[in-house]
Amino acid sequence: MITIGDSEVFWHEGMTVSDLLADIDDDRFYAVVRLNGKLVSRPNFDTTLVPDNAEVILIPMVAGG
Amino acid sequence: MTQLKPKTIKAIRYSRPTIDRGYANQTLSIDLSKPDISIKPVSDKMKEIFVGGKGFDLWLLWNAVSGKTKWDDPENAVCIASGPMGGTPGFPGSGKSIVTTISPTTGSVMDSNVGGYFGPYLKFSGFDALEVVGKRSEDTVVIIDGIDQQIEILEMPGLPDDSYELSAVLTDFFAGGKKQSISVVSTGPGARHTLIGCLNFTWYDVKRKRTRYKQAGRGGIGTVFAHKGIRAIVARWDSVTTSTNSPADKESLITVSRAYSQEMRELDPKQNEMARVGTTHLVPIMNDFDLLPTHNFRYGQHPGANIIGRETFQHLFDPGFDGCWRGCTVACSHGVKDFVPMTGPYKGQRVFVDGPEYETIAGCGSNIGVFDPFTILEMNFYCDAYGLDTISVGTGIAFVMECFELGLITTSHTGGMELNFGNRLNALELLHQMASGEGFGTVVGQGIRRMKQIFEKEYGANGALMKDVGMESKGLEFSEYMTKESLAQQGGYGIALKGPQHDEAWLIFLDMVYNYMPTFDQKAEALHWFPMFRTWFGLCGLCKLPWNDIVPADNKETAEPAKVMKHVQWYADYFGAVTGKEVTPDDLIKMSETVYNFQRIFNLRMGYGRREHDSLPYRAMGPVTGEEYESREERYDKQLTEKYGVDITGKATEEKVAVLRKFRERQYEELKDAVYERRGWNKDGIPSEETVKRLGIDFPEVLEVLRDSAVGS
Repeated sequence: MITIGDSEVFWHEGMTVSDLLADIDDDRFYAVVRLNGKLVSRPNFDTTLVPDNAEVILIPMVAGG
Repeated sequence: MTQLKPKTIKAIRYSRPTIDRGYANQTLSIDLSKPDISIKPVSDKMKEIFVGGKGFDLWLLWNAVSGKTKWDDPENAVCIASGPMGGTPGFPGSGKSIVTTISPTTGSVMDSNVGGYFGPYLKFSGFDALEVVGKRSEDTVVIIDGIDQQIEILEMPGLPDDSYELSAVLTDFFAGGKKQSISVVSTGPGARHTLIGCLNFTWYDVKRKRTRYKQAGRGGIGTVFAHKGIRAIVARWDSVTTSTNSPADKESLITVSRAYSQEMRELDPKQNEMARVGTTHLVPIMNDFDLLPTHNFRYGQHPGANIIGRETFQHLFDPGFDGCWRGCTVACSHGVKDFVPMTGPYKGQRVFVDGPEYETIAGCGSNIGVFDPFTILEMNFYCDAYGLDTISVGTGIAFVMECFELGLITTSHTGGMELNFGNRLNALELLHQMASGEGFGTVVGQGIRRMKQIFEKEYGANGALMKDVGMESKGLEFSEYMTKESLAQQGGYGIALKGPQHDEAWLIFLDMVYNYMPTFDQKAEALHWFPMFRTWFGLCGLCKLPWNDIVPADNKETAEPAKVMKHVQWYADYFGAVTGKEVTPDDLIKMSETVYNFQRIFNLRMGYGRREHDSLPYRAMGPVTGEEYESREERYDKQLTEKYGVDITGKATEEKVAVLRKFRERQYEELKDAVYERRGWNKDGIPSEETVKRLGIDFPEVLEVLRDSAVGS
């Protein structure tokens, strides 16, 4: 099970960050997520695996500097 | 150090006014030449049109100078203001000052937004804004003592040369036993010997028992300050509560402040962790998106970037509360204690480094090919101590390094220094030379625009190539974001009033990553709303970071998530609670639009402010060299074929560079057309008479500038 804020999502083997966001149908506005405390940016969503029991925070990057 | 013996040159006693709904209703004028100290009233009309902060600064500056004034003329003014909400404790980011002057690098109006306690202390001492004109000897200190209700111009020989020690010494000297009552504005030797000097604004960190500082960095404001012969301006004020600013509706103010602070406390740890890592989280993110400038903005990515960002600095920063104003829950002004420089006058000594922030890491790190956090810390420390802008220093050295690698300059010009990218010791040596006014540092300290002229005329370097890779616009060095793939951000930099600084617009993600604004009209709309709203913070004494660096959890459900309208409404509520004027979010935009257009016309008055001045070096738009093109060949080939319908079969890289350049330069000009039209400006980028009438700035002297520029009837 993956925790995203107040929600939980079923984990599956080989799940990437992209898969996770597709599962929750909520990937429109997130350029970055924090996966177990580490920042992962959108260019790495397809290649970053999500481990079971991971804690994920979605970060809406609309600002910089 | 010898005992300080100040000599009073001029002094006045005054009766401190009661603050009324965020305003002191008067400004302070210091003429160093006469010398004279005078107090001027603030009219209701001045508040209605200019609001405060940058608006007041611009009005004072407009009245101090003429269209012929040069940066080092005595009549040029350094203006500093807070704003009606400035000095409110508890509402995040409410301690900002804004500084304006005629810049030595752009020749026109410069503004810079800075933390520290000076702006609020100035206002609570009785002054919404301060203007300093004239010149004196090099040992002048101005003390604005709001507690004793006295202002003095002092001669103080024997002060330390650098801003690091100077700030601490003056805090000790004027504190009267309460160091947190002091805020010092000062600069250092780098400001005297270059055109890219900054100002340091202090606050006293009670827990760490030391003076801390933030910088008004951009456009050589510190250089103007130093050339006036001022060593420092000191403000002294007592305790601050929610009532000190005399808000119109204290209960409403407390309500909105609590709501905002609570949201920052809850969400920042889940989002960017600015209270823990400042803006260093941006380094790896920008790198991942190919947006972190490396090697003079050639590329946006480097394998070494991961060791100069958040992961490293979260361990180096000294833990503790780091708000640059009281009660700010964003509290992002971190620092590193017990750092030991390896070069320069502080070599081998333990010092406290205020920073680094993202801009300094990118400017004095990746952009010059340095991926060593300790060199970045040392550059940060000496830039501050010497009074030099880390952005202009970083972008300037990056330009020099590229020129060196291209063979446009050689060791015969640099005094024997090898200045390849990544040469950290010679980058530091260059910095020390800038501060001391010696060697090649004196050339680099002139800024990129003048360096290009010197390199071409005196060294015979290729002027066209330098025009493409010298990252300045309007004479100001670029801040540290790659704009090649975001047309909207090219406009955000190129059309910005003072030059390419991201405080007006940061649209890269909205444009490039989220593709929220695919059309010219949508980009133009964004380049209207965002610069206007961002301008508003500078009118009110506020920091923009709490607005959109931390966003509400339900923000994505709103109609316009990029604007973070829940927070915008809170700012409207905040303005109403302090000033007693009920306003809507649209009213905030109108306030800014008025001041923004006034500043554009001010540029025009100074001989700038036209379409030709909104130009960019080509590197901001696309790949200048074949090497750059080939490094992202798939991306550029795809754009040429799919977006522009070009048959690239058999085309050499240089041909493709040239074709792409044609398209990209044309689209930037089309963007300018769309933005000018949206803003109510003509094709030359000048506000129309109708626009200035609509905004209520159709004063005779404004209309005269427009008529002299062949606008209007």
